Amino acid sequence: MRKSITLYGLTFSLPMLVWQVMFFLAPLVFLTALSFWTVRNFRVEPDFNPGNWTKMLSRGVFWDAYVRTLLLSTAAAVVTSALAFPCAYGIAFKLSETPRRWAVFLMVIPFFTSYLVRVYSWQIFLSDNGIINALLAKIGIGPFGMLNSVFGIMVGYLTLSFPLVVLLQLFSLMFIDRTLIEAAHNLRCSRLRTVFEVVVPAAKVGLVIAALFCFILTFGDFVSPLYLGGGDPPTLSILITDTTKSGQQWPRAAVIALTMIATLLAVAFAAVTYAYRERGR
Amino acid sequence: MTDQALVVFDGVVKRFGNFNAVERMDLEIRKGEFLAIMGSSGCGKTTTLRMLAGLEAPTEGEIRLAGKRINDLPTWRRDTPMVWQSLALFPFLTVRENVEFSLRMRGVEKAERKKRVDKWLERMQITEFAERNVAHLSGGQRQRVALARSLVTEPKILLLDEPLSALDAHLKVRMQTVLSNLQKELGITFVYVTHSQSEAFSMADRVVIMSRGRIEQIGNPQEIYRAPRTRFVAEFLGSSNVFAGMVSAANGDALRIVTPSGEFDVARNPAKALIKGDKATFVVSGDRVQLTNEKPAGGVNGMEASVVGEEFVGATAVIHLEGADGLELKAQKSHDELERLNLMPGATIWVSWRADASHILPGE
Repeated sequence: MRKSITLYGLTFSLPMLVWQVMFFLAPLVFLTALSFWTVRNFRVEPDFNPGNWTKMLSRGVFWDAYVRTLLLSTAAAVVTSALAFPCAYGIAFKLSETPRRWAVFLMVIPFFTSYLVRVYSWQIFLSDNGIINALLAKIGIGPFGMLNSVFGIMVGYLTLSFPLVVLLQLFSLMFIDRTLIEAAHNLRCSRLRTVFEVVVPAAKVGLVIAALFCFILTFGDFVSPLYLGGGDPPTLSILITDTTKSGQQWPRAAVIALTMIATLLAVAFAAVTYAYRERGR
Repeated sequence: MTDQALVVFDGVVKRFGNFNAVERMDLEIRKGEFLAIMGSSGCGKTTTLRMLAGLEAPTEGEIRLAGKRINDLPTWRRDTPMVWQSLALFPFLTVRENVEFSLRMRGVEKAERKKRVDKWLERMQITEFAERNVAHLSGGQRQRVALARSLVTEPKILLLDEPLSALDAHLKVRMQTVLSNLQKELGITFVYVTHSQSEAFSMADRVVIMSRGRIEQIGNPQEIYRAPRTRFVAEFLGSSNVFAGMVSAANGDALRIVTPSGEFDVARNPAKALIKGDKATFVVSGDRVQLTNEKPAGGVNGMEASVVGEEFVGATAVIHLEGADGLELKAQKSHDELERLNLMPGATIWVSWRADASHILPGE
C-alpha cells in the first residue's frame, strides 16, 4: 500500500529530489533535445532533426564500437568479480577484526590518487620496453605487447574498479549469517563446496551489484581504452570525443550518449531483477 | 562404559582463551534416549552440543561416537545433524531443496533423493509447501522443514539447540508433542539443549543440569525435581526453599538441624550420611509448605515470616516471604487456598512443613 506524501517525509527527501532533477533529469532532457538539433557551419542550432539518430544508428562503426564496449565491460565485470571474490572472501572470513579494518583501509587508499595518474603509470610498466618487459628479458622471455591491447584495457579497468568491487563484495559477505555456513558443514557440505553452495548464493545480491558497478564504471570509461588500449578500434566513449571533434557534431554525440544511458538502464534493471529474484513461490 | 552408550564424553575440557566453557565433562548419552541439557546462558550447554556436532574441537579429553573417537573428525564427516535456534534454513533454496541438501552433498542419485525427500515432507506434513520459498512459511512450518532437513539422512542422533525458543507458547507445546512423538517413533537419540525447565522436563527421559561448565546433576525429571543434588539445582528449579545449617541431633531416621533461622526436624537422606556436628543443607519445595494465620499445632516445622509479595503463575501463585535472619522463602499455592489468608505486604504469617517434606542436598 502506498502511503500518502507528508510534509515531514518530503523535507527529508527534498535534497535527493533536487539533486536528481538538477544533475540527472535536466541534463537528460537537454541531451535528448540536443540529439535532434542540427549543425550548420560548425554551429549547433535548435531543430527537430531525426537525421542524427538515423545516420548514427545505421553506421557500422557505431555498432562495432557498441558491441566492443559491451563485450569489454562484460568481460571486465566477470574478470574483476572473479579476481575480487577470493580477496573479499579472505578478508571477510579469514581475517580477525583489526586486520580486516586495515584491509578495508588499504582498499580505500587507491582512490586517493587520480585514476588518470594511475593509468599513466601503468604505461611505464606495460610498454614494450617498460618495467615488466625489462624484468622478463632478464630471465629470457618476451617482450610481450601489453600496451594497446585488450590486456592493457583490462589492466586499466581493474585499476578503476577492483577496490570498489572488493569492498562491495566484502560487505555482502560479512552480512551472511554464519550459522548458514555451519549448517552447510553440518549437512555434509565440505569447505570448498560450501563456498559455491552457500556463500555465493547467500551473498548473491551484493555480488551482482558489485559486478554491475564494475560494468557501469567501465562502460563509460574513456581513459583506459585510450591510454592503455590505444583507442583504435574505438569504444563508445572514444567515439563520442571523435564525433564532437569532427565538425562539432554534438547532436550525434548526444545520440551515442543516450544509447549508452539506455543500455546502462536496461543492464542495471536486468541485474537488479536477477539479484533479487527469489527461489520458489 | 555401558553397551548402551552411543556417545561418551571422557574428561572433555573446552577453553576459549582464559574462559573455561566446559570443565572435565564425563557424560554418557544412551542409544535411543531423549536427553535434555539444561542450564542458564553461558553454562556450557551449547558448547557441549557444538563439540558433539564437530563445530568446536575439545581442548582436552575425548568424545566417542559409537565407540569411535571423533575429536578430529570434521563436522561434514560426522553423522550428527543439528537443528539451530535460528533454524539456519537456506533462504535461497525452496523447501524441497533445503530438505534435499544433505542427500545431494552425499551424492545420492536424483530418483532416490526425490523419494526420500517426499517421504519426509509427507511425514512432517509440509508436502504442500514443497516448492515454496522458506521465507514465506510460518514459524511452525519452518520448524518442520528444519527437522525434515536434518532427519532425511536417517541419522542415529539428532542435536537440537533451543529450537523452540522463538515460537509462541501454544505452538511451543504443540512442537514439543511433535518432537516427543518423532523421537519415540524413530527410536534415535535426541540431545536437546534448552534453558527452559518446562521444555526439558516435559520431553526428556534424562536431564543434565549444567552450571559454569560443570554437570551439577543427571537424572530423570522426577528425580531432579524431588531430589536435587546441589543448592544450584534446587535454586535453578526455582520453587525450593533452601536452608543451610548444622546437625544438632541424629537419632535413627530423624535429624535435627540448626540454621540461622531456627531449628528444624529433617528426614534423613540415604544418599548422605550425617552425624551430629556435620554441616547440612536441605530444601523444602514451595508446593509442600503450608501457610496459616495462626501458629500450627505441634509435630511440624514452623516459622513466622512476613509477606514480601505475590507473583501469579497461571492457576497458582507464588508467595514471597521473609523469615527470621532475612531468609527468603517461597510458597506455591492455588488461589482458593490463599483467599483465607492475610497476604498484605508486611503482614506476618506462619510457614510450616512436615519433616518428610524436606530433602537434604547430598551434594552440599
